[in-house]
Amino acid sequence: MISMRDVSKSYVPDKPPALADVSVEIEQGAFVFLVGPSGSGKSTFIKLMLREILPTTGTIAVAGQDLGKMHNWKVPFLRRNIGCVFQDFKLLPNKTTYENVAFALEVIGRSKHVIRTQVPEVLRLVGLEDKIESYPDELSGGEQQRVSIARAFVNRPPLLLADEPTGNLDPATSLGIMSLLSRINKTGTTVLIATHDREMVDSMRKRVIALEGGRIIRDQSRGVYGYGD
Amino acid sequence: MAINVGYFIRESLVSFRRNWVMSLGAVITIYLSLLLVGASVGSSVIVNNIVQSVEDKVSIRIFLKDGAAPEDIESLQGVLLKDERVKNVKYTSKEEALEEFKKTMEDSPEIVDQLEVNPLPASLDVDLDDPRNVMDVVATIKANPTFPNVADKPEDPEKSLKYGQQIVNQLFTFTRILRTIGVVFITMLAVISLIFINNSIRLAIYARRKEIGIMRLVGASNWFIRTPFLMEGVIQSLIGAVLALGTLGLAQLYLVPVVREQLPFLPFSISGTAAVQISLILVFSGIIIGIVGSGFALRRHLKV
Repeated sequence: MISMRDVSKSYVPDKPPALADVSVEIEQGAFVFLVGPSGSGKSTFIKLMLREILPTTGTIAVAGQDLGKMHNWKVPFLRRNIGCVFQDFKLLPNKTTYENVAFALEVIGRSKHVIRTQVPEVLRLVGLEDKIESYPDELSGGEQQRVSIARAFVNRPPLLLADEPTGNLDPATSLGIMSLLSRINKTGTTVLIATHDREMVDSMRKRVIALEGGRIIRDQSRGVYGYGD
Repeated sequence: MAINVGYFIRESLVSFRRNWVMSLGAVITIYLSLLLVGASVGSSVIVNNIVQSVEDKVSIRIFLKDGAAPEDIESLQGVLLKDERVKNVKYTSKEEALEEFKKTMEDSPEIVDQLEVNPLPASLDVDLDDPRNVMDVVATIKANPTFPNVADKPEDPEKSLKYGQQIVNQLFTFTRILRTIGVVFITMLAVISLIFINNSIRLAIYARRKEIGIMRLVGASNWFIRTPFLMEGVIQSLIGAVLALGTLGLAQLYLVPVVREQLPFLPFSISGTAAVQISLILVFSGIIIGIVGSGFALRRHLKV
């Protein structure tokens, strides 16, 4: 699903790079945590996969496509295969739950019929079927994050990226979000979660890739957040 | 794709309403610049008509010196009458010229009353069959050996002759100046309208930056993100164009008849085809201004 080879990224030429010599393979259907302190390169990793930025050296392939060789106009089509969830939810305040999710289908040109069937379905999946007409400011943080997950998943992408999805949530709510992401993973979607939520990572016992200073310092299947750090 | 068209129009209109002050500014500048474009094209059409009508009056008038020998005049008249390009040569005496002058000055007889002597020269009026021969016949007259003997101002033969071409040349000079001034103004206004559209679209992009970010995230294609803004620019300039057309239509309906009444001897009118052409020019330049103006804004402020 994701394949990085010797990827380095430096934003400023003479400073140490944000990512250095990262090589990683993530297979279809995997559930992977990307952990590390702030500034360790997690966000750069996510941005590279969305092709918001290009690596300074090395090659990246996502869903079988070489991002370095991809034409600019094809980038939107790449992003249709990647659902994205963020710490700050990125919901439109003037749209209801339903409209926020429908928006993602509307702007990639899906028909009204598709929208009318897929949006309620995904809202049922995330457990928000009775909050369809609510606006974001009427929802709790956890509910807002569910809306954003619904929006990321409504198009059934093969890959779901989550950048600190539980960063703004309390532990109990975070657990709910994690189990939702895990359920999405069970449908065959590859899930990659960048986080520094230690308890969450430790309790899930999934593959953990640990970054520090832009380098992979640890990559274990069924791993924990780290030892003593 | 049918859904998309509705989506784009809705988005453009919502955005138009959202920052209507800037949009109105853009509409007004485009309105004014296109109004000027239309007015200058229209007036050049009118001037061309006038030029045409002057060209149609293909007579050459030879002013004669007081006391020129009648036999010289007759010989010149005879030579010209034999010329196959000439339709007719008519002699107008000083007295007849004065009568004619009185007739044109009917409204202000005091000017005629003040004349102590008759200042008007006698003349030979040469009518031609074909306007294109005017310059040739003028040359023939100038070359005629008796011409200097009878000419009103023999030292400057050009001043003893009056023919349409001179007026035509003067009109052409006049229209050239008019056109240059018009082009300068129109260019300035076009630049200003581009800046206005650019600004209003920039604000529209800024107002919707969050939506744009999400659209990019979920994989909306570039043209899908851009089209509503492009359409907003085009809608703004089209409204300007339609307003300009309306104003010009009103002017044609109410102003042109008034002017025509004041200047009955000039063919002061715009034909139907010219009107259609002007409308097309306005609408197309409106669309182009809209596309270019919002295109600039998109290039600079909407990286996708």
